[in-house]
Amino acid sequence: MEYPEDLKYTSEHEWVRAGEGGTVRVGITDYAQDALGDIVFATLPEVGAVLTAGEACGEVESTKSVSDVFAPVSGTVTARNDALDASPELLNSDPYGEGWMFEVALKDPADLDGLLGVADYRSQVEAG
Amino acid sequence: MTADGTPGAQLRRSPLDTRHRALGAKMSDFGGWEMPIEYAGGGVVREHTAVRTSVGLFDVSHLGKAVVRGPGAAAFLNSTLANDLERIGPGQAQYTLCCDPGGGVVDDLIAYLRSPAEVFLVPNAANTAEVVRRLAAAAPAGVEVRDQHEEYGVLAVQGPRSGLVLARLGLPHEHDYMSFVESDWQGQPLIVCRTGYTGEHGYELLPRWDATGALWDALRRVGEELAGTGELDAAGVVPCGLGARDTLRTEMGYPLHGQDLSLQISPVQARLGWAVGWGKPQFWGRQALIAERELGATRLLWALDAVDRAIPRAHMDVLDTSGRTVGVVTSGTFSPTLRRGIGLALLDRSVGEGDEVAVDVRGRPGRFRVVKPPLVRPSTRVG
Repeated sequence: MEYPEDLKYTSEHEWVRAGEGGTVRVGITDYAQDALGDIVFATLPEVGAVLTAGEACGEVESTKSVSDVFAPVSGTVTARNDALDASPELLNSDPYGEGWMFEVALKDPADLDGLLGVADYRSQVEAG
Repeated sequence: MTADGTPGAQLRRSPLDTRHRALGAKMSDFGGWEMPIEYAGGGVVREHTAVRTSVGLFDVSHLGKAVVRGPGAAAFLNSTLANDLERIGPGQAQYTLCCDPGGGVVDDLIAYLRSPAEVFLVPNAANTAEVVRRLAAAAPAGVEVRDQHEEYGVLAVQGPRSGLVLARLGLPHEHDYMSFVESDWQGQPLIVCRTGYTGEHGYELLPRWDATGALWDALRRVGEELAGTGELDAAGVVPCGLGARDTLRTEMGYPLHGQDLSLQISPVQARLGWAVGWGKPQFWGRQALIAERELGATRLLWALDAVDRAIPRAHMDVLDTSGRTVGVVTSGTFSPTLRRGIGLALLDRSVGEGDEVAVDVRGRPGRFRVVKPPLVRPSTRVG
């Protein structure tokens, strides 16, 4: 499993990449896509939606099961990856790249400090 | 996102267990057995597609095996199991049901008629002990019922190219659908059945338990030899897990015992009247089933075909257009062939073919069309 060093993580298996101007990009981790298996539908929040950290804001569904996606931070959605509507398999094949899910303008940049670093996330996943 | 998938302890293991792990399979509990759900580099959609378009290889060694033998063995089974064994002759197989006196289904199984004095049975993994127990308790003197669960492995070779793969191993492959040949391979007995649970032309091979690994390796090797030759595509003979087996059977509307068929769901409700020998004087559940058929079942198993982007899952409620609950989903998944949600559901008699219903998908209504199974046309008898 691959977990890029420069990302922040949640214990619900989302990743967060800090961008410019207080905006972050969000997706699901390699562990998450592998556990789900072939993803066939992704439901993303719409642009303009106001998210609260820790609350469900989307779903990823595979042939086997469905999982909620939780907002890792609070803020307003500024972009969503429309490519996932037609090609949800990008979440499996490139979870940190073309399989990104949405972008959020942070309400409070301090939210990032509450997320897991790669070492903590990795040890959590490996502990099962 | 949340994820789980925790295999339990003390599960029984297939003779191919180490091979599955070496292939990076995700293992899961299936009827008390730890079996592959999908393989690394594969996945349900790819494995499913291999079976529909080329050939896939499943380990289904968890399936039960039992033999009933002795003078009058077939006649004894014909007086207990639901289907009419007199419809077939030696060398033929039959889908049948072991019912409860109340008409519920203890298990659905395949009976392989060897002779009037010997019938081989393949029940579901989780129900084998119970089927054997019921038969043994009822068997007349001289008829033996023996559980052979770990005497044979089962490999399913399924897909339009499956015959070609068997031919390369010198195995019989030209026999009819629902028939079998007692053959041998490398000096060991091997039963070659034209059966399966995918809706494709295919075979179920039953080697001795300890010979299952060598047969699996040989089938994979044929795949490697033929890969990309024009006989098979580059993927060769694709190892397929029970995840793909479930999407394949759901497209066919084949019921899964414990979901679409159970002690609470009778064959009349599950559209399995064709697997009941109605004219027979005796079989388990006869009176109850005849009464239910004459009265008309209160609910019927239908297939659901998504109109919206929604996937039904077992236990979800089904509502009619006025919002009234009219049934429950018993199986549901994403159809890799149709690229949309499909399912099976037990619906009240007020619902009919072509109706639109809503499935309560986690609080949101998903629209589905009610259709007669199958959802995808079967090719079992082709070739």
